Amino acid sequence: MSLEQVISELHSASLAALEQATTLDALEAIRVEALGRKGKLAEVSRTFGKLAPEERATVGKLLNSVKQDLETRLEERQNALASSARDARLESEWIDLTAPAPGVRPGSLHPITHVQRELEELFVSLGFAIMDGPEVETEYYNFDALNIPADHPARDAQDTFWLKDGRLLRTHTSPVQLRALEKFGPPLKMIAPGRVFRNEEVDASHEHTFYQLEGMMVDRDVSVAHLLYFMKTLLSAIFHRDVTVRLRPGFFPFVEPGFELDIQCLICGGKGCPVCKHSGWVELLPCGLVNPAVLRYGGVDPEQWSGFAFGLGLTRLAMMRYGIDDIRLFAGGDLRFLRQF
Amino acid sequence: MKFSYNWLRDLVDQLDAPPHELSQLITIKTAESEGVESHGNDYVIEIDNKSLTHRPDLWGHYGMAREVAAILGRKLVDPVKPAEFLGSAPVRVSIEDHALCPRYSALVFENVTVKPSPEWLQQRLETVGLNPINNIVDVTNYVLAEIAQPMHAFDAAKLQGDEIFVRSARTGETIKALNEESYALDPSNLVIADPSGPVAIAGIIGGADSAISESTTRIVLESANFNASSVRKTSAKLKLRTDASMRFEKAQDPVNTIRGLARAFALLQEVSLGIRLVGGLADNYRPMPAAAPVVLPLDWLDRKLGRAIPGDQVRRILESLEFGVEEIAPRVFSVFVPSWRATKDVSIKDDLVEEVGRMIGYDSIPPVAPLTPARVPPASPEREFHHRVRQMAAAQGFTEVHNYSFVSEETARLFSADLSAHLAVSNPIVADQNLLRTSLLPGIWKNINDNARHFDQFRLFEIGRAIHPDGEVPRFTAALYSKEDGSSSLFELERLAECLLPGISVRPVDLTQSYEHPRRAADVLHGETRVGRLFEFHPRMVESGRAAVLDLDLACLMQLQPEAARYQPLRRFPESAFDLSVVVGPRVLIADVQAAIEPLAGDTLLSIVFLREFALADGARSLSYRLTVGAGDRTLSAEEVGAVRSRIIEGMRSEGYELRL
Repeated sequence: MSLEQVISELHSASLAALEQATTLDALEAIRVEALGRKGKLAEVSRTFGKLAPEERATVGKLLNSVKQDLETRLEERQNALASSARDARLESEWIDLTAPAPGVRPGSLHPITHVQRELEELFVSLGFAIMDGPEVETEYYNFDALNIPADHPARDAQDTFWLKDGRLLRTHTSPVQLRALEKFGPPLKMIAPGRVFRNEEVDASHEHTFYQLEGMMVDRDVSVAHLLYFMKTLLSAIFHRDVTVRLRPGFFPFVEPGFELDIQCLICGGKGCPVCKHSGWVELLPCGLVNPAVLRYGGVDPEQWSGFAFGLGLTRLAMMRYGIDDIRLFAGGDLRFLRQF
Repeated sequence: MKFSYNWLRDLVDQLDAPPHELSQLITIKTAESEGVESHGNDYVIEIDNKSLTHRPDLWGHYGMAREVAAILGRKLVDPVKPAEFLGSAPVRVSIEDHALCPRYSALVFENVTVKPSPEWLQQRLETVGLNPINNIVDVTNYVLAEIAQPMHAFDAAKLQGDEIFVRSARTGETIKALNEESYALDPSNLVIADPSGPVAIAGIIGGADSAISESTTRIVLESANFNASSVRKTSAKLKLRTDASMRFEKAQDPVNTIRGLARAFALLQEVSLGIRLVGGLADNYRPMPAAAPVVLPLDWLDRKLGRAIPGDQVRRILESLEFGVEEIAPRVFSVFVPSWRATKDVSIKDDLVEEVGRMIGYDSIPPVAPLTPARVPPASPEREFHHRVRQMAAAQGFTEVHNYSFVSEETARLFSADLSAHLAVSNPIVADQNLLRTSLLPGIWKNINDNARHFDQFRLFEIGRAIHPDGEVPRFTAALYSKEDGSSSLFELERLAECLLPGISVRPVDLTQSYEHPRRAADVLHGETRVGRLFEFHPRMVESGRAAVLDLDLACLMQLQPEAARYQPLRRFPESAFDLSVVVGPRVLIADVQAAIEPLAGDTLLSIVFLREFALADGARSLSYRLTVGAGDRTLSAEEVGAVRSRIIEGMRSEGYELRL
């Protein structure tokens, strides 16, 4: 058998073995056997000395090309095997991604918080400051300075929790009007959201504790037209659509003139439905021009300054927003309710 | 207040608006109508009483008719025919204090027949919700419903003497009223009295003993005016509200007493044939000066409403409501307020803005954006901070609750040794909910036990005010409930606290509250400042599982918030780290050991972190810490790092600690 034949057989035998090999170790064994320093090809090359010089060149060429071919094929097989091994590992690493993720789920904020926050951001964007006042108020701030003297029948409308020390739980957020005027003076645009209290029996639509948002603007020559503008702008933002508003007379001692602001029923568009009691209008908030007496109590000269004020029922708005039909749920602490928001 | 449509039609010439339309118009221009109901051949328009508190005149049909006439541009028909009561009065009226009774007018009638009223009168009263009684009483009620003048008829035979006293009740006096109830009176109550004692509670109700009966033939007819707040106080004190008291407490017009008598006289002649007036009018009153006119600059009015209104339109509106108008300067009116609007309703020019505004219709005012300079409003950092806290808590799984500000004494006692530190409500709705919360814990505690019925584990929190006699403190209270294990809950809450205020630490306390787990309670500290408490509820408070609580003072927390971060250059030289393990007894605190190591490490210490704890025999524990050291200007050599380590080991040993090396 000629050397060329030996090399060719070695070549084809090694190629066959490469095809058979299924592990990297087996490939390595084949490499060592064929290409290693003590491998078969090395062995063949050691017999070169016996060849004639011209034969030596031909056989050398063949040997090199076989070596190269085997090396290339070996690398290919190595790559193929490594990649299928990785594929197998990856395949085995399947996980059920539909299993619930571990860890705590986010909690939720109170529905009043959502509504209050939204309004706060809205008002801040219109240049209003956000103010706070105490929940325990004096009779002066809650009534007297709001032009509601003792024995005024308007006090009947606000059943009051009186404290044994003579103070009271604020019946509305309006006292913050006075506190804000005293602190900042005019010009001023402010809102005051907060908790208020009325001495009322509790049922599905009445609560002794609820949330209001008071608003006030005091500047030069503030008019009914300005009030209308702000109310329309705000309510359209709150309800995410253009709302039609109307003012009608309403009596609140701290404003003059005082209004009830109605919005055209958002359910029926004003045609009349059970929600608006077939009137086409829904009463939304009391408002008015700040009574000069209140401005004076706040240390502001009503001949120089004027303003408007309004009171929005945050609890009522939250009920409208989320379709909540029982006001007692707000302070009920029931997570089955609270987790919905 | 119920208004009869037919009655209004009597008082407004050519009233042709149908009832529903009229009801709508009244709502838009005057006062809120709650709706229209048909009643026999009539309709009742029900007006919300709350929208009438400032309008004494609207407590009678004539007042509303005036509004309707003005709204529709019709003529008002006065039902009162002027009458003159000449001759001397058969009774005298003595008023102790004109401030409480500005006017008391009375007529005496004889040859009275008491019998049921004619059908039309009974129907009118029934339509507006008044019960027909007899012709005499019905006439007084008719006048009340028509011109808002409450009246009272006494049986003259049952009054002693011929002098009527309007005076304060004397201590110990009582009266049996027409409603058959007896009332104990005191000097804050104004009464009508004869020499033998009270015969009526002024402005509220008559006495039973002098009431009209079938045998009555001679009556004294009272038409008086009483001080609004005095009537209101007495009415509230006696818990007795009547059609009369409701009107008087709105401040009625003293001028109206004579109109009441004139109207009653006309009606009595109709319903009690042969009735005769005895003598003339008894009328005791203090001077009733006309209210000073209100100066109304028309430019100012335009600026208030935000719309120009022609002067002649303003005049027309005011005159239709029977205000007197005089132009005292170009575009400046002097407006005379009619007596029935002057008692407390209209006294300043702002009040006239409403009169003009509602009559032109607020819908005629186009919304206008105010031309004011843009200003950045003052910030509200507290509110922003609270909201950050809220969002942090929610992100970590806590759900926000709102609880009432009221607590019962029983609950308060569970959480506080000193009930007198609570503000108390004098008129609670439920007798036992009479204290104001000084902590959010009572509410959170209730939330835990309520929700434990539905959930095996949950997290909740509240941000609210603890109310103390000297002020209100915003607090954050969070709870983590688990039916089974509870120790990890405390760490979860500690982590929440760290998120809310970096640098916070806890310090276990030996002296725990009775509601706390005696071995699971700690003060929450920032440096030396106590900012709250971390504890597990005592099992007797939460029997179904374990509940951990974090209770923080938000005002304090906000003050301690770190200032804006300042950039530190990144370290240029590598750091070195090594671990140390200290063997300690069962209840030695990890933080205490760390605090002992720290000062020994010197100024190359960059951080020290507790790694793990390992239980050894006999309750001993091995606590491992990783210390990282480095210098800003060079890489520490192995020798330098070794020196730090040796220093710590020696130092710890000399303090009596055992180290595992």
